[in-house]
Amino acid sequence: MPEYNVNELERLIDGDLPWTRVQEIMKSPKDGSRFQKWVQILQSRVPWEERILLPLTPHLYVVERAGGERVVKCTCGQEFGDYRVNWKLSALIHVRDSEKELGKIYRGSEMPEAEWVQVREYYCPGCGNQLEVEAVPRGCPPDFEFLPDLDTFYSEWLGQPLDRKVEFADKTLDTVRGWQA
Amino acid sequence: MTSVLTPGTGTNGASAGAGNLQTRVAENDRLFQQTGHLFGLDKLERKETDPGTYEAVWHILLNICNTGWAVGCQVAASPIAVEGGDAMWTLHLPTGECICTSRGITGHTGMLAAFIRTLIEQGYENDPGFNPGDIFENNDPHYGGIHPMDFDTAVPIFYKDELIGWIGSVTHVQDIGCILPGSIGFLNPDCFSDGMPVTMEKVGQNDRLFPWYEKRVTSRTRMPDWVMADARARLAGSFTIRERIIQLVDKYGLDYYKQVTKEYVEDSRRYAQRRIKTQTIPGRLRKSNFKDLAMKGKRVILPHQDVDVLFNLPLEVTVGRDARMALSLAGVSGTVPFGENINPTALASILLNAFSHIVGFDMFSSGTVATYDLELPPPGSWANPHPVDYHVASGVAWAPAVMWLSSVYETITRSYFSRGYLEEVAAGAACTMTAEFSGISQFGMFVAGLTLEQASNGGPARAIADGENSAWCIYTPQADQGNAEVTELYFPLMYLGRGLEPDSGGYGKFRGGLGHTAIWMIKNSPGVEYQCGCAGIRSKLVGNHGMYGAYPKWPERGSYAAGTNVKQLIDEQKPLLHERGDPDNPNMDKYIEARVRETDLITPFVTPEALHEYDLVVHHVSGAQALGDPIERDPELVRSDLDAGWTRDWVARNINRVVAKYDEKAQAWDIDAAATERERAKEREARKSRGVPFREWWSKERKKVEAREDMDPAVLEMWRSSMRLSPKYGEEIRAFWQLPDDFTF
Repeated sequence: MPEYNVNELERLIDGDLPWTRVQEIMKSPKDGSRFQKWVQILQSRVPWEERILLPLTPHLYVVERAGGERVVKCTCGQEFGDYRVNWKLSALIHVRDSEKELGKIYRGSEMPEAEWVQVREYYCPGCGNQLEVEAVPRGCPPDFEFLPDLDTFYSEWLGQPLDRKVEFADKTLDTVRGWQA
Repeated sequence: MTSVLTPGTGTNGASAGAGNLQTRVAENDRLFQQTGHLFGLDKLERKETDPGTYEAVWHILLNICNTGWAVGCQVAASPIAVEGGDAMWTLHLPTGECICTSRGITGHTGMLAAFIRTLIEQGYENDPGFNPGDIFENNDPHYGGIHPMDFDTAVPIFYKDELIGWIGSVTHVQDIGCILPGSIGFLNPDCFSDGMPVTMEKVGQNDRLFPWYEKRVTSRTRMPDWVMADARARLAGSFTIRERIIQLVDKYGLDYYKQVTKEYVEDSRRYAQRRIKTQTIPGRLRKSNFKDLAMKGKRVILPHQDVDVLFNLPLEVTVGRDARMALSLAGVSGTVPFGENINPTALASILLNAFSHIVGFDMFSSGTVATYDLELPPPGSWANPHPVDYHVASGVAWAPAVMWLSSVYETITRSYFSRGYLEEVAAGAACTMTAEFSGISQFGMFVAGLTLEQASNGGPARAIADGENSAWCIYTPQADQGNAEVTELYFPLMYLGRGLEPDSGGYGKFRGGLGHTAIWMIKNSPGVEYQCGCAGIRSKLVGNHGMYGAYPKWPERGSYAAGTNVKQLIDEQKPLLHERGDPDNPNMDKYIEARVRETDLITPFVTPEALHEYDLVVHHVSGAQALGDPIERDPELVRSDLDAGWTRDWVARNINRVVAKYDEKAQAWDIDAAATERERAKEREARKSRGVPFREWWSKERKKVEAREDMDPAVLEMWRSSMRLSPKYGEEIRAFWQLPDDFTF
């Protein structure tokens, strides 16, 4: 099983490796220590101290706070709450559901129809990065793309159990139930 | 349903000829259930004791299958097989499990395995019996076929009177005899209009097709010579493989062959399972997905098809602690009165296609199937229609399924991203818009069928780079648009253009690979019909989701012109139409005068009248999806795309927020890096200003949802059927929007 040093992985992550080398990596068996090195690289790049438990997207991470809570955090430091609640509930949202708004992205014969689809943009309130875009008809709840089973991953797959176990459950609806209609 | 595809073979070491295959199929299932290993193989003895021979024989088997593919595709006559290689040959165990495959349309691997297993389960071993030289065939979706134009054929392999396996094969025929000419039967209203069925039949013996087989093809398809050539192609490839397998058994011995082929299947299960455990994260992944099929006001076949429909294609993937994947379509919408309903066996089978791309591509076989379970979709949905409506059409059943499959790519690779394997990440797939022509060819003969344009989409964006341009196809690892000259040979068309379509890969930090656009002029024909077909497109919606903040690719729209002034333009040596042009001002509008000039048609559609000499068609083949925030795109990549004509300055300025200026003298674009940075910072602030807290939006939006405000009737009907067919899904929607318990759309 091949292993790659952190420098080469950084070049891979940053898109700086020659394509021929990327292909070699793709064709080879996967390196077993990738996750640890990946987290190590990301941890060295973020401006905050909390331990990264899992990268979720290019900007979002599940991190462990000093008190043991696991929350979603952006590269800029903005937090989005319990990782078991869809982070989109704590984001800013801008919805393009009119010809005028869709027309800022799509033109002429490339324009979708507003009664069929909303383009939902989710922004980080801290840095203004566009974290996800959904294209769904009205009525569709936001996608909760990834709810990781962190305790199983760390304890059973990596053999490095986390200090405190938490229930693996989707808590999104619990949050919404607390909102006044 | 998954048991249909669950691999397993007979009792370890038992003679295939000695036992009843039905009993052995059941025994295989029991062994897998009890041990977790296919055939109960907790050890791979042949591999462990002699790995060199094990690997060598594996590669010999692969080469044998690929030889069958090469021979078969040359015996075929249709451009789909000859030029596009849209076919596949497979090798199976006696009980049906696929051992290995040729190149080609790998989505059929599971269907061929299921076909053989169904022959066994339905007692064909006793009646009509399995004998050397027999030929069995199925294209009927009621019995596991995906859609009728894909013929699945099975030929047994006997070695000294013992059935030691099967050869499977599939080709996509040019015309299947459905109501409208061709093979992409999206307009079929019911199964009676799906074309010529071959329903789990013995179609030949002693290596020859029965004479009535050809008679049926002749009377029930429009291109019988091509359809029969395909049938002979399937047999030529199969007989080639059979001959080589017998030679291989002569060389290595029957016991070795029987044992090692089972080990390959179990080995591939282990490989796929290891890959899942190495590359993913346990947990739950979800992605919504939708697809429109808007036919209201267009040419249809029966009156009740004058309707627009929206498909719900939801996906939930659970990666368990044991690294098995469970997939669900809970929330899937109902059947449609068009040829876009798929049976669950075919759906589970095409999952292998996604797995071959993104999970297990070493020793690809039925073993991979044993790493996932597909929950049976609700009866009455487009994904499991027959228990409720036995007569639905499946003319191009692939269409919604392939869009759903795109989510499999995206969701699983989100997990790869989290694990750090960025080189394996793939954003969503492209759409598949087909072009079929029917009418009198340049040779004065009737011609009908599919061009090959659609088989070369852009590839999905990666997490580290743009997707490949026009070099990827979701339904075959062998993307190939075919040679323009060959298409011109089969159809009365002349290419006026064939080029990459700017901005057709979505907008993101990394864009999807670009698709391409073909510009055809009708030439040397008294008249042909153009079917702008749906094999998985969106026209009112956008092309898909983006990933990680990217915008989806724009919708698929159609263009054609009839009664043009093209001859006059040619005579006067004036500019012709060579590319689609700007979406706000298409080149067809700029350069062409015509009696009918359509540049923004909702697809799919069939031209309401035949096209004639010098009429034009602009046919776009989609790019794939993008990844990441578009204002994080490296300005140098934007400059490079501008120089290549792969993006337009409107997109660079308004989406990528790049400040660029064209240098007329150097004939190249210059980027103002500092101004770009300022522009992007401004956009980030603007987002913070126009974005509202989610809860605030939710509070207003829920009222609009409850009031069904600005929702097309097709959207409402989609939600109604989804919530009815999957009550838990319905409960979740009601709970999220705080709607009354009895609320429906």
